[in-house]
Amino acid sequence: MVLTLLKESIVFAWGALVANKLRTFLSLLGITIGIFAIITVFTIVDSLERNIRGSVQSLGDNVVFVMKWPWTFGPDYPWWKYMNRPVPEYSELAEVQRKAKSIDAIGFRIGTRKVLKHNNNTIENALVSGWSYGYGQVKSFEIVDGRYFREDEAEGGYNVVMLGHTLAEGLFPNNEYPIGKTIKVAGRNCKVIGLFKKEGESMLGNSMDNQAVVPYNFARLFMDVKSENSDPFIAAKAKPGVTNAQLKDELTGIMRSIRGLKPLADDDFALNETNLLSKNFDGLFDIVGIAGAIIGGFSILVGGFGIANIMFVSVRERTNIIGIQKSLGAKNYFILAQFLFEAVFLSLMGGIIGLLLIYGLTLAAGGVIDMEITLTRSNIILGLTISVLIGIISGFIPAYGASQLDPVEAIRTN
Amino acid sequence: MAQVTRPKDIRIVTIIALILVLLAFPMLFTPSIKRMGDFIPMILGIIITMQFVSLIGIWHMKQWGVQLFIIMFCIRVITFMFLDLYEFRFFFNIFYSITFIVFFLIHYRKMDTNL
Repeated sequence: MVLTLLKESIVFAWGALVANKLRTFLSLLGITIGIFAIITVFTIVDSLERNIRGSVQSLGDNVVFVMKWPWTFGPDYPWWKYMNRPVPEYSELAEVQRKAKSIDAIGFRIGTRKVLKHNNNTIENALVSGWSYGYGQVKSFEIVDGRYFREDEAEGGYNVVMLGHTLAEGLFPNNEYPIGKTIKVAGRNCKVIGLFKKEGESMLGNSMDNQAVVPYNFARLFMDVKSENSDPFIAAKAKPGVTNAQLKDELTGIMRSIRGLKPLADDDFALNETNLLSKNFDGLFDIVGIAGAIIGGFSILVGGFGIANIMFVSVRERTNIIGIQKSLGAKNYFILAQFLFEAVFLSLMGGIIGLLLIYGLTLAAGGVIDMEITLTRSNIILGLTISVLIGIISGFIPAYGASQLDPVEAIRTN
Repeated sequence: MAQVTRPKDIRIVTIIALILVLLAFPMLFTPSIKRMGDFIPMILGIIITMQFVSLIGIWHMKQWGVQLFIIMFCIRVITFMFLDLYEFRFFFNIFYSITFIVFFLIHYRKMDTNL
C-alpha cells in the first residue's frame, strides 16, 4: 500500500518536472554549479594530495635524511641559525655506516643541473644526480630496461649513466634504443646502462623522469661536492622493527661525534624524515579544503534556495489539484511525498549533471596535465549525498505546506 | 482542525536552532570529516537534515517534531562518541540541544498530535 503510494507520488513528481522543462533546468542549475564548485575543489585537492604522498613515499617512510636544512616551514623559521652549518660530506657516510647498528641501507646523493647531449640532441638544465651505490637500496625506483650500476662501477667512478623517461625521449627521439649508447654529461662521455620507469609529474619535483643518475665518484669530477648548490645529503634506511625515532637518536650521536660537537653545543645538521613533509602539506591541504568547503557549501545552500523558490511556485500552481487529490482521499503524507520527491529529483539531477561535468573535466585535464586527476568514489558519494540532502532541506517546507492545505479552500483557489 | 498558536519562546528557539543547523551543513565538507570515511559525511548529513525537518515540525507546533528532534539529538551524540569527536563543538552541541529540548518539552502538551 505504502509502496504503491510512493510509486504514485514519484510518477506525479516526474510528470511535473517533465511538464516544465525550462523551469526544471533553470532551478537545477544552482545545484549543478554548487556541486561542480565543491567537488571540483575536492577532486583537485585529493589528486594533488595523492601525488604528493606518492612522491613522499618514493623517498621512503622509514628513511632519515642527514641534511643541512630542516624540513620545517612557517614564519618562525630561524634560517640564520642554519645557514652557517656545513653540508654533509661523502667521508661522513662511511663513518656513519661503520658505527650505526640500526641501519638497513645507507647512501649519499648530490645533484645539480647540467647539459646532456647526444648527437644533435641537447637537453639543458637536466637534473644530474650522483648516487653512492647504497643510495639505490634506500630510494625506491624501477628500472624498465638495462640495469643499476655495479658496486665496482660506483667505487671506481665509472662513466655510466641511468636515464629517466623524459630525458631518454629527448636524447633518443625516433624510438632509438639508448642502452649501450654514449652520451655527454656535462661535457664528459658517459655510457647509458639503464632506463627508469616513467613516473609522471611529481609535485615535489623529484620525479625520476627528469633525472640522469651517475655514480657519485664520477659526479664529483664535475660537481662541487662541498657546495650547497649540489644539495648533498646522507639517507639512512632503518632496519625492520627500528622506529625512525630510534634511528634519529642513533644518527644524532654518531653525527655529533663525527663533527666533534661539545655536549652543550647545538646540532649543526638536520635529521629529516618524510612525515615532516607530509605534516606540512596536510596543513596546506586542510586550509584549501576548508576554503573550498565554505565557498562550495554556501553556493550549494544558495542553489537550495532556488529549488525552494521553484517548489513554492509549483505548490501555488497546483493548489486546486492538491485540493482535488485530498478530497478524493489522498493522505497528507502522500501530498508531502509528492512534492518532496520532486525537489529531491531536481536536486539529484543537478548533482548528477555537476558530477558528469567534473568527470569530463578530469578526462580533459588528463590530456593536458601530466598528472593523474581522478573523480574518486568518496567524492561521488559526497556529491550525490549533498544533492539529495539539499533537495530534502529545500523541498520540505513547501511540501509540508502543501500537505497541510485545507481541501475545500485549495479547490476554490484559481 | 484548530491551529495551535505558536508561543513566542518556541518561535525564537526554533529560529536559533534552524540557523545553527544550517550553519552546521558546510561542516560536512571539511577535510577532517571527509578523512573519517566515505560514508561519514552522509551519516552526519542525514542527521542534520532530519534535525532541520524536526524543527519545521516544531515550528508548526507538531509533537512529531519534538520527538524527531530528541531522537536525532541522541543519534548525533552516539555518532559523535563513536567517531571520537570529543571536541568543543560536541559539548556545545549537547549544551544547546538540551536547552532547546527543555523549551520544546515545556510546550509539548500544547502541540498537535497529527502529521
